[in-house]
Amino acid sequence: MKIPTTYPPGTVRALLDTPAVSPATRKALQQRLHASQQPYEPRFFEPAAFVLLRAVCQRLLGQADPPLVEVAYCIDTRLHLQQADGWRYDALPPDADSYQLSLRGLQQTAQARHGQDFVALPGPAQDALLTAFQRGTIEGKAWQGFDAALFFQDLLAEVTSLFYAHPLAQEEIGYMGMADLPNWTHIGLNQRDPREPEPTD
Amino acid sequence: MADADLPSSSATPKPLPQPARSQPTDTAEIVDCVVVGTGAGGAPLLARLAMAGLKVVALEAGPRHDARRDFATDEKAQEFLFWNDERLSAGRTPTSFGNNNSGTGVGGSTLHYTAYTPRPQPDDLRLRTEFGVGQDWPLAFEDLEPYYDELEHLLGISGPATYPWGPPRRRAYPLAPLPLNGAAQLMQRACEKLGIRTSPAANAALSARYYQEGIGWREACTNRGFCQAGCSVGAKASMDVTFIPLAEAHGAEVRAGCFVTEIERDARGHVTGVVYEQDGQRHRQRCRHLFLCAGAIETPRLLLLNRLALGSGQVGQNFMAHPGMQVWGTFTEEVHPFKAIPGALISEDTHRPAGADFAGGYLLQSIGVMPVTFANQVARGRGLWGPALRDYLRQYNHIAGINILGDCLPHPDNYLELSGEPDSRGLPKPRVHFSFHENEERLTRHAEGVMRRIWAAAGAEDVWAFSRSAHVIGTCRMGHSADAAVVNAEGRAFEVPNLYICDNSVFPSALSVNPALTIMALSLRTADAFLARQRRRNQ
Repeated sequence: MKIPTTYPPGTVRALLDTPAVSPATRKALQQRLHASQQPYEPRFFEPAAFVLLRAVCQRLLGQADPPLVEVAYCIDTRLHLQQADGWRYDALPPDADSYQLSLRGLQQTAQARHGQDFVALPGPAQDALLTAFQRGTIEGKAWQGFDAALFFQDLLAEVTSLFYAHPLAQEEIGYMGMADLPNWTHIGLNQRDPREPEPTD
Repeated sequence: MADADLPSSSATPKPLPQPARSQPTDTAEIVDCVVVGTGAGGAPLLARLAMAGLKVVALEAGPRHDARRDFATDEKAQEFLFWNDERLSAGRTPTSFGNNNSGTGVGGSTLHYTAYTPRPQPDDLRLRTEFGVGQDWPLAFEDLEPYYDELEHLLGISGPATYPWGPPRRRAYPLAPLPLNGAAQLMQRACEKLGIRTSPAANAALSARYYQEGIGWREACTNRGFCQAGCSVGAKASMDVTFIPLAEAHGAEVRAGCFVTEIERDARGHVTGVVYEQDGQRHRQRCRHLFLCAGAIETPRLLLLNRLALGSGQVGQNFMAHPGMQVWGTFTEEVHPFKAIPGALISEDTHRPAGADFAGGYLLQSIGVMPVTFANQVARGRGLWGPALRDYLRQYNHIAGINILGDCLPHPDNYLELSGEPDSRGLPKPRVHFSFHENEERLTRHAEGVMRRIWAAAGAEDVWAFSRSAHVIGTCRMGHSADAAVVNAEGRAFEVPNLYICDNSVFPSALSVNPALTIMALSLRTADAFLARQRRRNQ
């Protein structure tokens, strides 16, 4: 089904300055917009591993370089601060270990398959490695005894959630729920409140 | 309290080396009641006990929020509402915690509950009698009904003038139902074609301004659709805007940021007080009676850590979670799924489906969804990434869902235990084993068929199902006897006469409805039973 729902560039950013956005909401979104545009030095990952993580995020989100939205730095910060989201699959090691192991494994398998670093590979070869990771069929010593398919689910969920928490990604999907003051009055099918823009293709 | 003083228990692994702990500060004051947890289990009884003139102190692990000022309309910024300490999810269908079912802060999980407030039906409490599996409750629907009625009017439930299922109510809901959003309209339209009855759902968010004695005016819902990320309007009847202010107006003291680690006893085994951590300091609060209302994970965890009331062998057992499959579809119509209460429409026609090959039943609810929650489910449920992910999520404004909430039977291999992995406090993380068994699988298959038929009739494309489980239930079950249950029908521990438990851990069966209203009803009932017992003793 072909459906136009993207908002014109700048829509969400312009909204943030309006009274339709509460101070708490504005602060959260502007901080995120700002932080994702700053240079970032990894605090948890080694520099090479961080570059690799960034490349993985780019493929998973179908982003070019430079990406629309940076997410790898959020993962690095979370692991550095030892933050959790309330649960973990018992079948997996702690998140920090699973991330380290997966990045080491991707690098090893890239070398074994192509004689090259993961980050140096063309997109389709990177995607093939990620597909094997997702299916749990990826080969190599690093992956032994590790439920790669299960962790891929966690990795993809984290990367995807971080991306769609960003105002620019929300603009892409035509989301403007953050501009909720004073209320929504047009809530039924095919209804739009006056402040909601026309979507474009 | 030294570990060597305690009897050993097979339910508990060898304790981890405890971090060096200082002597707790101690005011020596003995209060009538300490309540651990301020969610749907703790807050109503806190108010009831305070209104009876007792000196009560609530200890809440999380902070106190000013929702109007601090709550953002942003899922990520609101993650502080969730119990984010890591729990280990084991089993064939591990259940997730955090934003799925576990809150923290003054108000507990009601800060992020969706505020669906259907009553169970009378037969929900008699599953064993009806089907020969699961458990009956040690009380009847009629025992809870007066409390449902009281709560619906105190909280200001919005609901239909007449509700098609269950026994007639003595009074209509006090407020008109909340408006139907896009997902609800799509489901309503399709169900009409298929002959499935629907109704606007009962919801603890105000469809109009509402006055509560002892609390004041609360404002109407503004259709933000962010119930699961915290209500910044005060329209949703979370405990922080209802029973907590009521309790405080009657002299209850609520201490935020207090994590209870120890439950102290005298030589008879009666509780004498608790030790808790606040800002890195340890404190003791002495009490005559203790009410554990910390939810179906932290309540049994506290009992296991303290080796308290474990004689029945049921602490941590009977863990249940509702089968909560969601079925999503893409529609040509604009839905804007973030608008208005997510679950505006309900059907209980599947409460006891004809010809079903499973025990119990389920309800159907239309669902809208916030974008990050949806994106997360797309990642986990569909495994889409790259351009396929981006293309699919561009349809966000045209997405609508239906979900079920179905009964879950207790199974011996579904339980909570203490793991060998320490948390940041040095206490063992809980490990929760959960697997769907045949009954949950059959129920889910039946429901998936019904939901797919509904979405087909509504003209959906690209329909997919996300299998999940919701709510945490049943780890300190109530029952008639000390060999088979942790607490009696009044919530009183069989083994410890001044220990009460009131939260979703005491549910003997899962009920095929959202649990919050029933937790609150049990909370008021537990308080009334306690007060009646105190009065008898004093006569």
